[in-house]
Amino acid sequence: MASSEPDAALVAKTVAGDRAAFGVLVERYAGQARRVARAVLGDPDDADDAAQDGFLSALVKLEQYDAKRPFGPWLMRIVANAATDRRRRRTVRQAEPLDPSLVGGGPRPDAAAVRSELGDRLRTALGELPERRRTAVVLFDVEGYSHAEIAQILGIPEGTVRSEVFHARRRLRTLLSDWKEHVR
Amino acid sequence: MNELPSSDFRPDPELAAVLRSALEPSTDQATFVARVMAQYDRARERGPVPIPTFDVLASWFRPGVAAALAGAALIAGILFGRTMLNPATPASIETALAPAEGSGLADLVTSPNPPDASVAYTSLVDQR
Repeated sequence: MASSEPDAALVAKTVAGDRAAFGVLVERYAGQARRVARAVLGDPDDADDAAQDGFLSALVKLEQYDAKRPFGPWLMRIVANAATDRRRRRTVRQAEPLDPSLVGGGPRPDAAAVRSELGDRLRTALGELPERRRTAVVLFDVEGYSHAEIAQILGIPEGTVRSEVFHARRRLRTLLSDWKEHVR
Repeated sequence: MNELPSSDFRPDPELAAVLRSALEPSTDQATFVARVMAQYDRARERGPVPIPTFDVLASWFRPGVAAALAGAALIAGILFGRTMLNPATPASIETALAPAEGSGLADLVTSPNPPDASVAYTSLVDQR
């Protein structure tokens, strides 16, 4: 199957029972769905479970999808909801840092370790942001969605999305500049 | 990193790159896709993919509203038709007071003697 096939055509084939078409959709959006779920949940394994829930939930709702609209925001809304549901079901409800097991200790000597330390700091910083704020900044800066699309995904006004992205960026940029000072 | 002003809402490539690497999944994509497809196959083996209860209720909403409206319209039509076929009140007071025979209303109004209540009552009842 051609992987360049438009989303709407793949959706139509999937609804008709074409397994391969669903496979192409999953491949196309797997990375995005896993990152968005991880932005919500933090833990990579939980995130993969939520992303999988999102794909299977989307599968049963595919007949409701309006082919005139872009597929990505529609799917990401389902994935984000699946991740939020999973987060709510967790027994521990404290404001936990994202992926705390990966948060490193002191400085490490090589470049890979320095990058890893930055990743740890970013995950911690993301974990300190409110869920909606970190999801908004990931959808905007990492996944390239517009404010209007993010508003649709998160079910909030566009102005709120702008505000959330602005505040998230301000926090993350402060962290990055501190980190740059630290490694100099 | 670019120091963008607050009014700048363009994506920031440097922030995007570090965020992307921080959120990178722990397993490769092929493994994840295979896992989702295995769930897809399992669901197909069990029959139609189970739909959550809420989705079922949501799918009933529109037909339910349509059925309720149709029922309300039917009842309204029956009541309206019954009213039109069997009017409960006469069209006017003259009709109500008109006797079945004789000069009727004119005699009743111009007579110097008060009317016999039983006669007036009989006249009204007979009209119905």
